[in-house]
Amino acid sequence: MRRVVITGVGVLSPLGNDMQELQEGLESSRSGVVHVESWSEYKDFKTRVCGLVNWDDYKVIPRKSRRSMGRVAIMAAKTMQDAVKDAGLSEEQISNPRTGISFGSTMGSDEALFDSIGTIAKEKTFIGQNSMSFLKFMSHTVAANIAAMFKIHGRNIPACSACTSSSMAIGIGYESIKYGMSDMMFVGGSEEAHAYNAGIFEIMAATSTRYNDTPDQTPRPFDTERDGLVTAEGAGTLVLEEYEAAKARGAKIYGEIIGYATSCDGEHITTPSSAGMEQVMRLALDDANITPDKVGYINAHATSTPKGDIAESHATYAVFGDKTPISSTKGYMGHILGGCGVVESIIGLISLKTGLLPANKNLVKVDETCAPLDYLLEHRYGNHDIVMNNNFAFGGINTSLIFKKIEE
Amino acid sequence: MTEELVRATLKEVLIEEFEVEEDEIVTGANFFEDLDMDSLDAIDLIVMMDKKLNIDLKAEDAQKIRTIDEFVALIMTRA
Repeated sequence: MRRVVITGVGVLSPLGNDMQELQEGLESSRSGVVHVESWSEYKDFKTRVCGLVNWDDYKVIPRKSRRSMGRVAIMAAKTMQDAVKDAGLSEEQISNPRTGISFGSTMGSDEALFDSIGTIAKEKTFIGQNSMSFLKFMSHTVAANIAAMFKIHGRNIPACSACTSSSMAIGIGYESIKYGMSDMMFVGGSEEAHAYNAGIFEIMAATSTRYNDTPDQTPRPFDTERDGLVTAEGAGTLVLEEYEAAKARGAKIYGEIIGYATSCDGEHITTPSSAGMEQVMRLALDDANITPDKVGYINAHATSTPKGDIAESHATYAVFGDKTPISSTKGYMGHILGGCGVVESIIGLISLKTGLLPANKNLVKVDETCAPLDYLLEHRYGNHDIVMNNNFAFGGINTSLIFKKIEE
Repeated sequence: MTEELVRATLKEVLIEEFEVEEDEIVTGANFFEDLDMDSLDAIDLIVMMDKKLNIDLKAEDAQKIRTIDEFVALIMTRA
């Protein structure tokens, strides 16, 4: 079976805009969550916290490519640029039928959606609409725009499954190479910040509202005082390559993807299922052909909602017991929704490289209804060579990815 | 509406919305060959100029324009 390795990384996150900044942000326990006063314009809307990316240098993306992108796609394109540069690829390696992409986001550009649909609905006319609006807010805007900008000729499989969008994209890329459909895949995802993203979760009573004046203290995955998730923005790209080809060209290798699974609860549209979460972790371990004790760190999805964190903790305990270090890194930056899977996978790669086992930021007292796991209460440094990243989405869609340090 | 106003407005839109360099906006400049624009840009240029000048431009007008001078002349017939 063909092996799949990661040879390039690009990231924009509330905690930093490259791997080094992200690592430093984790190690210094910084928060990327801020108070957003402008959201007060929405009536009876309580949430005022969001994880924001400090980057708006849009002109690094050429105008012809950027004109059909909202912030969600622009950020993704920037991380793609960085990942391609990091991997040291030629145009011929990028543009050929054996190189493909998979990218996703929960939404297209919220800003473009509001600007366009809001006016059409109110004025009942399409006259005056910009031809680019739809291309900015359509569901596969990230994948479509990146494909056009980078002249992608291989498969383009958009992965738009809300909070598993970018983890699923990584899985699609992994399977494409593993099973011989592609030799190289660019994969990842993105999300842009907007009141709408927070608003839809507030309607479901799932957002954090008690820490508006102390934004660095929320979200609080697994903590007794958690009060919901905090939406965030960000993007990331991984360059995936077939191992022998990467080795032959002398590529820098961040790690190997040794396991991936996606499966579905097939139950409730929003309520998390512990059984479904357990199933996907077991399937990923099977795919990697390893036993649970080989995993040295788990990056949990845990968004800081009451139900989700409990369900995930019990699923994890059922598979791993209480000895595997676990943290949710959403406490540092919030929930990047469609982009969380790739950003948290990049944190997994940082963990493999440095040994860092990042603490659960804002976890002071573990909720007693959560299972007894080895919750990281402070940073540790391990000697592990395998990490797992789990993500779960509305619709009962679950993903689990397993990364391994490559032997020199 | 004067031709000067139309040219000034067009120049402003081309610079701000289409990121055209000011020194490229010269008499006779072709939108597609000289200013790196295409048919979608032409439609959006029509929409933006229509809003700025409040004239009766339609998306199908985009097929009639190739140069700055042709576009200014078209607008003057509607003004």
